[in-house]
Amino acid sequence: MRTCDDLRNHLRPVVESSLSLLAGFLAGGIIIWAAGFNPILFYEALIAGAFGDIYSTLNTLSYSTPLILTALSFAIAARASLFNIGAEGQMYFGVLAAVSIGAFIALPSVMHQLCIITLAILLGGLWGAVAGWLRVSRGVNEVVSTIMMNFLALYLVNYLATYVFYDPLQAYKTKSILPSAELPLMVPGTDLSLAFLLSIATAMALYILLWRTPLGYEIRAVGLNPSAARYGGIDVKRTMITSMFLSGATAALAGAFEVMGRFYYTDTGLSIVRNMGFDGIAVSLVGRNHPIGIILSSIFFAMLKTGIQAVQRSTSVGGRTGVPLELGLVVQGIIIIFISIPEMLDLIRRLRGRREV
Amino acid sequence: MASGKTVAVVLVVLAIVAVAALAITLKKPSKVQPQQPIQTPKKKVRVAVIFDIGGRGDLSFNDMAWLGAERAKKELNVEVTYVQSRTPADYRPNLESLSKSGKYDLIICVGFLMTNDLKKVAAEYPNQKYAIIDSVVDLPNVRSVVFKENEGSALVGALAGFVTKTNKVGVVLGMEIPVLYHFEAGFYWGVNYAHNITGKDVKITYKYTGSFTDAALGKQVAEGMLAQGADVLYNVAGLTGKGMLDAVYEYDKNKKLEMGPPFAIGVDSDQDWIHPGYIIASMMKRVDNGVFYSIRDVVYGNFTGGVMALGLKEGGVKMSDEKDLEQFIEIAKELGAKLPDTPENIVKKYKEMRASIPDWVWKDLKELEQKIKSGEIKVPTANTPEKIKKIREKYGATGA
Repeated sequence: MRTCDDLRNHLRPVVESSLSLLAGFLAGGIIIWAAGFNPILFYEALIAGAFGDIYSTLNTLSYSTPLILTALSFAIAARASLFNIGAEGQMYFGVLAAVSIGAFIALPSVMHQLCIITLAILLGGLWGAVAGWLRVSRGVNEVVSTIMMNFLALYLVNYLATYVFYDPLQAYKTKSILPSAELPLMVPGTDLSLAFLLSIATAMALYILLWRTPLGYEIRAVGLNPSAARYGGIDVKRTMITSMFLSGATAALAGAFEVMGRFYYTDTGLSIVRNMGFDGIAVSLVGRNHPIGIILSSIFFAMLKTGIQAVQRSTSVGGRTGVPLELGLVVQGIIIIFISIPEMLDLIRRLRGRREV
Repeated sequence: MASGKTVAVVLVVLAIVAVAALAITLKKPSKVQPQQPIQTPKKKVRVAVIFDIGGRGDLSFNDMAWLGAERAKKELNVEVTYVQSRTPADYRPNLESLSKSGKYDLIICVGFLMTNDLKKVAAEYPNQKYAIIDSVVDLPNVRSVVFKENEGSALVGALAGFVTKTNKVGVVLGMEIPVLYHFEAGFYWGVNYAHNITGKDVKITYKYTGSFTDAALGKQVAEGMLAQGADVLYNVAGLTGKGMLDAVYEYDKNKKLEMGPPFAIGVDSDQDWIHPGYIIASMMKRVDNGVFYSIRDVVYGNFTGGVMALGLKEGGVKMSDEKDLEQFIEIAKELGAKLPDTPENIVKKYKEMRASIPDWVWKDLKELEQKIKSGEIKVPTANTPEKIKKIREKYGATGA
């Protein structure tokens, strides 16, 4: 009886997600059909564009890399029942760390990467911790503070990129980082760098942290019921700040890795990473705020991203022209809304039950 | 729990209603995609055009590239596939996949943002033909389309020199990159050309704002120049310059002027429609021609790698005229941009503005254009800080 219940508890999210996924694809298909395209050919081209050959598959995996990290960032905070909307801004600090140390300080390889990663963790972590501290000491809702801090981060990092770290010969971007700071490509000729493995490793590390260490236990306890956690002797305030630090640090890694493993610079305007932090929220919701789920849902989101680029190029769907990006984005949005519904409901339920600390 | 269910039901219903509504709105105009079978004459040339993240609807670079490709579709009977990049991460995979497919006779990258990615991919596929607009990639299979901005700037510079009443003109620039030196050099030369004819001593101030995207900054810089008495301002700053156009417009409006001077001069596309009566002309970069010529060369088998520099003669740059105005009003309408007035009124206002300038000015500019085209007059240009410094000194341009 118990094993049966356990199994049902584990299967429930899988079944829910699959059903909403199916509904999402169905709804997207209706849109495609209404716009005068063949939905089956559309999805065929989308999936072939994402996984059709080795290059596309590796490309999709490389697109999933930053999503894994920003989604983990959201998940760690969410596990402590904190709603961190600030991954976007925290991520920018990772970009800043990579560009500043990577391009302007000469260090031997490995050492160079480690320095960047350390600085990214510190900057992003502290930026997140500030929001955590405001919450526990001043009662400032972290949703509000992180949203506002996103703007601060954007303009601060953008200012530095534009006026301090810029490349005098190509002023639309910063100087490129030195080769010693780059993360090597796992497969030459693709964009899949070591960043992918590091992101998976980060997911594993956070899994262990959350479910196999006292700190992780405390974070989850605070998330489930702060009052009970306090009664149980857990320092709730410290735990919340810590989880915000971890959340910010993980987001910053996403920014740092995008620079170190893909672009080697940032444009002034940060469009290389824009919105990746917000995407992470949806990825995490779909992945049920669980590291393993997040890896899978990141790959799914990456598939949608590479797929809608591919349907533009596909001539089998739209006759001569392919499906315009805008329509692809509509379908992508619909699918994401549908697959987010189950977890969104859980989240609303939890936030409603959440007591102020 | 019951309330959770209610929320679930509401959400699902909302989602269904939204999808249905969207489906209905999309279904109505059934002309979205003509589905008639494709007639393929023996060997139809296929072209892929990759837009940068600016994309269609920028009323500038990308839209003009689209115009050029559409013209090629009509006149040269080629097939064109448009690919819109959503983030900079898309450039490389799009290039790579299009190249690998081997289906395209030409792949066109619109904009210098794709330079680094094209360098890598074009080296991998030496048999694939590429073109890049407004940047140089030094590979045998890449056609680099660049523009002689100095020639077009010379014309609008001369215009500025002719129409200024305060004998002060200003240039609002973006980031200090070598391309902008072409604009500077040509413009200063043009102002001096007018001086040689009218004898007026015109003071030039220029200012690098350090940004192509900061409209507020452009406005602020322009307001400073206007306050110091400049009455013709040249926009060489992209979106930052949009702020400059607004500054001139508001300044004139506050002084209850029906039209300039003070005038603004637009750049890249035809910007004359944005504030009719206050923008006297635009220095257009004919990206459409760059795209069209590249496709035409492929169709006729004349494609070669290397730099194709398009000046006045080649139709790569030009000073805007009424036809351009009408075309861009059309594009703006089509893209749903907000027009400041009805198209008829914009054209009317524009004609009044142009008529307020003495005829000999336009006549002289025509002659100057002819002389530059025939090579009788050579407009100087600059590619390095040292060279532009000398030109600034020669024509008396000072930093603001």
